[in-house]
Amino acid sequence: MRDIHALLKQRHRLGPLEPRKGGLAFVTVPRENLRGLLLELRDTHGFTHLVLLTAVDWMEDGLFQLTYMLNNRGRDLTLGIRVMIDREEAQGDTIHDMWPTAATYQRELKEMFGIDFPGSPRLDEEFILEGWTDLPPYRRDFDSLAYSQQTYAERPGRVTHDPREYMKSKLYPDGV
Amino acid sequence: MFSFKPDRSQYPAPGPDGKLQIDLETGKYLKLWQGPNHPGITGNMSVELTVCGDEVVEGKTHVGYLHRGFEKLMERRTFIQVFPIVCRVCVPEPDFNEYCYAAAVEDLAGIEAPEYAQWMRTLILEMGRFNSYMMFLGGIGGALGLGITGQWMTYVRDLMLDRFEELTGARIYHMFILPGGVRGHLPEGFEGRMEEVLDTAERYLADIDRVMFSNSVFKTRTKGVGVIDPALFEPYGVTGPNARAGGVAKDLRKDSPYLVYDQLDFEVATATDSDIFARATVRRADVQTSIDLIRQILKKMPKTGPAMAKIPNVLHWKIPRGETYIKGECSRGEYGYYLVTDGTGYPRRINVRGPSYTHAMALLEHLIPGTNISDVAALMVSLHTYPPEIER
Amino acid sequence: MGLREVLTPFTVWKHVFDDPVTIKQPIGRPAAERYRGFHQNDLDTCIGCGTCEAICQNGAIDMVAVAGYDPEKGNSGLKPQIDYGRCCWCALCVDVCMTGSLTMSNEYTWVDTDPDAFRFVPGLEEPWKDDEEGYEREGKRVLSGIERIHMEEMEPEARIGNFDEIVAGYSRAEAILEADRCVECGLCVATCPAHMSIPDYIAAVRDQDYDRGLQLLYETNPFSEVCGRVCTHKCEGSCAALHEGDPIAIRWLKRHIIDEVPFDRRIELIGQPAEPTGRKVAIIGAGPAGLTAAFDLARAGHGVVVYEALAHAGGMMRYGIPEYRLPYDALDRDIGVIEAMGVEIRTNCRVGRDVTMDELRRDHDAVVLTIGLHMGRSTRVPGTEGAGVEKAVDLLRRITDGEKVPLAEQIVVIGGGNVAMDIARSMARLQKAEFGKVGITLTALEDIDHFLADPEEVVESREEGVKIFDARGPQEVMRDAEGKVTGLRTWRVKSIFDAEGRFAPAYDQSDERVHAGSMVIEAIGQAADTSLLGAALTEALEWNRGRIKIDTAFRTSEPWLFAAGDAVKGPDVISAVADGHRVARTVMEKLAAREVAQ
Repeated sequence: MRDIHALLKQRHRLGPLEPRKGGLAFVTVPRENLRGLLLELRDTHGFTHLVLLTAVDWMEDGLFQLTYMLNNRGRDLTLGIRVMIDREEAQGDTIHDMWPTAATYQRELKEMFGIDFPGSPRLDEEFILEGWTDLPPYRRDFDSLAYSQQTYAERPGRVTHDPREYMKSKLYPDGV
Repeated sequence: MFSFKPDRSQYPAPGPDGKLQIDLETGKYLKLWQGPNHPGITGNMSVELTVCGDEVVEGKTHVGYLHRGFEKLMERRTFIQVFPIVCRVCVPEPDFNEYCYAAAVEDLAGIEAPEYAQWMRTLILEMGRFNSYMMFLGGIGGALGLGITGQWMTYVRDLMLDRFEELTGARIYHMFILPGGVRGHLPEGFEGRMEEVLDTAERYLADIDRVMFSNSVFKTRTKGVGVIDPALFEPYGVTGPNARAGGVAKDLRKDSPYLVYDQLDFEVATATDSDIFARATVRRADVQTSIDLIRQILKKMPKTGPAMAKIPNVLHWKIPRGETYIKGECSRGEYGYYLVTDGTGYPRRINVRGPSYTHAMALLEHLIPGTNISDVAALMVSLHTYPPEIER
Repeated sequence: MGLREVLTPFTVWKHVFDDPVTIKQPIGRPAAERYRGFHQNDLDTCIGCGTCEAICQNGAIDMVAVAGYDPEKGNSGLKPQIDYGRCCWCALCVDVCMTGSLTMSNEYTWVDTDPDAFRFVPGLEEPWKDDEEGYEREGKRVLSGIERIHMEEMEPEARIGNFDEIVAGYSRAEAILEADRCVECGLCVATCPAHMSIPDYIAAVRDQDYDRGLQLLYETNPFSEVCGRVCTHKCEGSCAALHEGDPIAIRWLKRHIIDEVPFDRRIELIGQPAEPTGRKVAIIGAGPAGLTAAFDLARAGHGVVVYEALAHAGGMMRYGIPEYRLPYDALDRDIGVIEAMGVEIRTNCRVGRDVTMDELRRDHDAVVLTIGLHMGRSTRVPGTEGAGVEKAVDLLRRITDGEKVPLAEQIVVIGGGNVAMDIARSMARLQKAEFGKVGITLTALEDIDHFLADPEEVVESREEGVKIFDARGPQEVMRDAEGKVTGLRTWRVKSIFDAEGRFAPAYDQSDERVHAGSMVIEAIGQAADTSLLGAALTEALEWNRGRIKIDTAFRTSEPWLFAAGDAVKGPDVISAVADGHRVARTVMEKLAAREVAQ
């Protein structure tokens, strides 16, 4: 993996390689360099398998992280490629022409995170959700607990006690 | 002999965006929903077919009937609290979720599960694989009108569930592989009772060979049908038996050995025809591999030893910022957990990579046009799809 | 298509005569022994710590009160109630349970038309509550740490020749690991006399937020240097972790926080006292109770003067507790913070000699009496009068003052409490320095399992060469013809209390021993020296068995006089701190009431 990283570092403006156990490593690449990097990895370095494509919401930093996980089966290498994109105008570049299956991932990212991939087939077709009008639910600012509390009724009749407060109320109610 | 030949002339013209211009008003085409409740569908999923006569010109996979937002739920739970829900992502083979999640947490937390736990996990995963294949062998028969295989395989699966029950304390959602190790040791006399199950399984599988794999009807309906061109494997992310049936010996147990697979003796089954029949035979051979592996594991695994590594107090377990991807070869291909942590007590993001995600979406939609309506069920089942992996 | 392929499938017709494999009666089919079915809870073992509720990812568990189970030390009395509409049978609650009381039966079929029936407290009346089978965790709990992180201590050989502090204190890494074991149930808070926010300051250690930790400590205790070292730590006796392992080292973690915050930073964090109120309070005795009250009163803006008879402030913390347990500079830091709040401490100022009670009463809005117990009691067995017999508190005070105290090569100590251990170990150090060897015999009424001293004191005393004879009752201090002490004669104790629970030791006279020694030290208890009150006030005050009588708010029978600490209540530093807070509150209420009246 280090050899490949050394080779591609300059050309594709790669960040430092972050190796993990086994043949797994992560690297960050600017959005403009993603396509070139993926093509070269796929066509020259045997990273032919798109393992997954997903997003991580770094809401505090105003960023989405797109993770493209590629695998070279022969050498047992897996490379997680990170692309940081702006969270407000979330847009990525479609790679469905390289891996047709990427269209499904991109459709999901549009629905669940609101990340746009212009040109990706059937991008706006409902995938998992039907008739969803709220925030894209996998965004960190979508509060699933609040949603569930608004949408569903609790069965009444439950009450609990904090042991520490309960003991205080029974054993030393005035605090001493 | 009769064989279905698609008639391309019936297809509507593609528009400028490459999509088919289907005008239902012409009366030439019909929309047909297969699923979400249909004997030819595994799980809650449906395929929206556009048919012309008995030929399918377009198919779209619909999921979401069972969407529970697991990945989101996991972000709201502490690392230990994620453990009870991961298994629910996949009913028929839940153990891969437990293993991948536990291993991902261990990787980022810098914990090594003890040797006994590694063996036990391997055993559990092979038992789960066996059960998953029981579902498949029953299901593929069912999809072609062969009802009896489903009943036999359900019975054999039930026997294995008995073993799961005595080992893990539950039949379906075992919740046995904790981050840090496993919850316990083998019960006394387990090996003997397991051997009885494997014996019974082998007898029933011999019957399956006779009633299904040697069956002229089954062969006729599956050979040469639903062929996946091996050239599609990489573009469509095809892994596991679906790829092995096309001659590519993709198997993470060999390609990227995890747990104790490097200490076990087994061959990866392959076939060449890449059709429904080939995919079924590969899985039939895989069942035998699993049976052999279970026997090997029970023979080779240590009899004692700690089941759990020392882990921090789970009530306030924080994991430093990092990300990892843990994968394994499940009965359907590459199963993986992508875990991102941010230094808090909760995962920042968990993404579950299930093989059905690519197989039943992009690949299936690519394969369906040109098939006969009656083959769609067998085609879909032959890809061995578990819809919850898609919608999570 | 061959004929064979058409016919082979028919071979399965052989199964037609097989017995069905289905189970005829699925309801009632017994589950496997480890099956995770409905919960069981041994209510008498359950301590209501609520970790089951904390870990439940479904929010299926509530902690509820159950008739017949009341809160007590280390036990909230609450019991888990489980909502089976939510339970997912993961059994994490069983794995995390601190006592092992929560388990599962292998019962899984139950039909009821009332949905609320599936929300109940396991262990009360369900039919499977005593079933043997069902899920139990293998071995001890693994989801939180069992073993305490080892505290570095000086080896006995290294420590016996000097008064250096024995305990090293945790490093940050060690403290984080120890703090990690806490499950934050809070059962300890009720036990702590000062109700310190123990789980919160332990959390601060985990979070490495020592500023927050220090502020939490000072909310309830201005003597964390002291209590972090010598507290009787009863909290640890009610820690949920002790049921299957070591209790959390709460005391060492408190000390760790204070160790990590420099003196000046402490004053910064506590902040300035409130605006001066113009009210003045006199406090007699600069021990833990008096200084805590002084701290609270000064924080509220009242003018506080503490009158201390001895040369230094600290009371028994300085003059009772040996330096190897509590170095004087640590105590000085605690007192320094209190002084920084504007408290004036007048040392070498004995009330009754240098200033009278009447003067104090005249010049202040209130007077608080916190004089402690500084007079040693005697066994009064024959031979105790005269040279060669000393009282532990007197010797300890003189050692602190740097005086040369009487010493002998072989000393007999009477008493089994912490003071006895303190004097035994202090004298052992002096012997080692003087004679190069230790010669201490300690006799106590209690048998070793019921010693009043902390177990670690007993262990460390023995490590340092103190010979302990338990269940021995002193009968006579033996003296030779010249009147020199030669030893202590004891009988074996059969029982200490009579049937009514009164102190009335019974002896086995046939089991007599003489413990040789040329010096005997009595360490059997102390009394308050109330001579400072003067005859008139002594007469005016109400008394209770030799102690000044106080009410629950620490008021004496005189409206201007309040009393707290060992002299009226006891028995330890942390109790004195708690009393100090309480008496300060009473005084402030009184001052506020007067404010309104005027």
